[in-house]
Amino acid sequence: MAILEVENLRAKYSARGPEILKGISFEVEDNDFFAIIGPSGAGKSTLIRCINRLIEPTSGDIRLDGTDMLSLDTRALRRKRRHIGMIFQEFNLINRMSVMDNVLSGRLGYVGAIRSIFRVFTNRDIQRALELLERVGLQDHIDKRADQLSGGQRQRVGIARALMQEPNLLLLDEPTSALDPKISREVMELIRTMANELKVPVLCNIHDVQLAKEFCNKIIGLQDGYKMFDGPTETLDQSSLEEIYAMEVL
Amino acid sequence: MQFGIFAVLIGLVLWSVQATVIDDTDWQRIGTLADIGESVAHFIGVDFALIPSLLGPTIETFMIACIGTLLGLVFCVPMIWFGALNVTPFKPVTYPIARVAMTLSRSIHEIVWALIFVSAVGLGAFAGILAIAARSLGFIAKMSAEAIENIDHKPVEAIRAMGGSNLQVMIYAILPQVLPVILGIVIFEWEINIRRSSVLGLVGAGGLGLVFFRQMNTFNYPGVTTVIIAILMLILIGEVVSHYSRKALI
Repeated sequence: MAILEVENLRAKYSARGPEILKGISFEVEDNDFFAIIGPSGAGKSTLIRCINRLIEPTSGDIRLDGTDMLSLDTRALRRKRRHIGMIFQEFNLINRMSVMDNVLSGRLGYVGAIRSIFRVFTNRDIQRALELLERVGLQDHIDKRADQLSGGQRQRVGIARALMQEPNLLLLDEPTSALDPKISREVMELIRTMANELKVPVLCNIHDVQLAKEFCNKIIGLQDGYKMFDGPTETLDQSSLEEIYAMEVL
Repeated sequence: MQFGIFAVLIGLVLWSVQATVIDDTDWQRIGTLADIGESVAHFIGVDFALIPSLLGPTIETFMIACIGTLLGLVFCVPMIWFGALNVTPFKPVTYPIARVAMTLSRSIHEIVWALIFVSAVGLGAFAGILAIAARSLGFIAKMSAEAIENIDHKPVEAIRAMGGSNLQVMIYAILPQVLPVILGIVIFEWEINIRRSSVLGLVGAGGLGLVFFRQMNTFNYPGVTTVIIAILMLILIGEVVSHYSRKALI
């Protein structure tokens, strides 16, 4: 069953600016690890940010769990966003806070104003954070400040924070491009394991085709805002890659 | 061509020396070089009898600076919020209000602020405190608002993506980044406020300035020197405290 349906999505950064996405459609299903590949500037990041409306699309249709994302008002959008976990290229952690506080911050969508001012979280949240930190292998770094960790460790904090949300969908924006190849593979492996376990579909924007082939079951290829490829990973061959990357040397 | 510019510049300098120094000085009163030396020599020496009565005004000057800075900081909070482009609640109204208030605060001299508040609340330290607060909030607000404008936006994006409210973005993504910066600015301003509060007594707003004024009026020149030494020591203390506490912040 399709959990996320995107139809004819268009987006631009400014009213008179160039169109970044030119009518993109695709569907993500329940157990998908879904990759968006394409050269730099193809619109991958814009596409993934349109899903949770960090960027407002100009037209099109996004349905998540049957909800029309584009019709939500601010309040409803916030309620919907707390079920969408996001993992970022540069981790986007709060550097001056501890690893634990960063992971707990994943619950902010569920926490009221007063409680969030005083950083009061429920015992259940704290237990969950400790479990997740153990699962991502950071149980010995709980009280360290986020900026004292290595890149791979920071991304693990990012993963734990996203999972704290108990998401129905995980968005990954180039989760490995700030990491070296070995750590990249470990991070992708961790995300795949956790996503399988929690039965969360993943939509992942990635420029490393090798990683995409290895970890993802479906792929769409973007080039200059157009969808050039859409299909299961097995069907991605050299000729479709050449089309996506338009003669660029791979 | 270049010669012409130099000629005009030199002409301007000579003319201003003529107008301000030669015409404006009462040459008869100055007398000979020896007379000038003798007048300056009056200030050499310390009036030890004055020292015990300086303790109170010195503490008062110090307190005016401390309380004035704190009060300024309190009034600053809404101005910082209104004056930073990326967080101002309603840009067309709140941003200009904050900017005008900042400029007003900084473009009026502390002595003038003191005159205003002396006429408003009467002679004494309270007028000085208000003057210091009014004079320093513009600088603190301007620098702090700029700090907010220059934050790293990645954590902001992360908190928004997980469904965080504006308040939560402020507390989790913005404040941890700017609090140390704002504290540094406040300490810097506090140090300058010690200098400012030491002259406010000249217009009756409490502290060492009043003693200074009295010594000058009674032609007790060693007394004037004694007050200056007291001011100097106070400022030195301020500089040392400011230097080390700001170092500790980084």
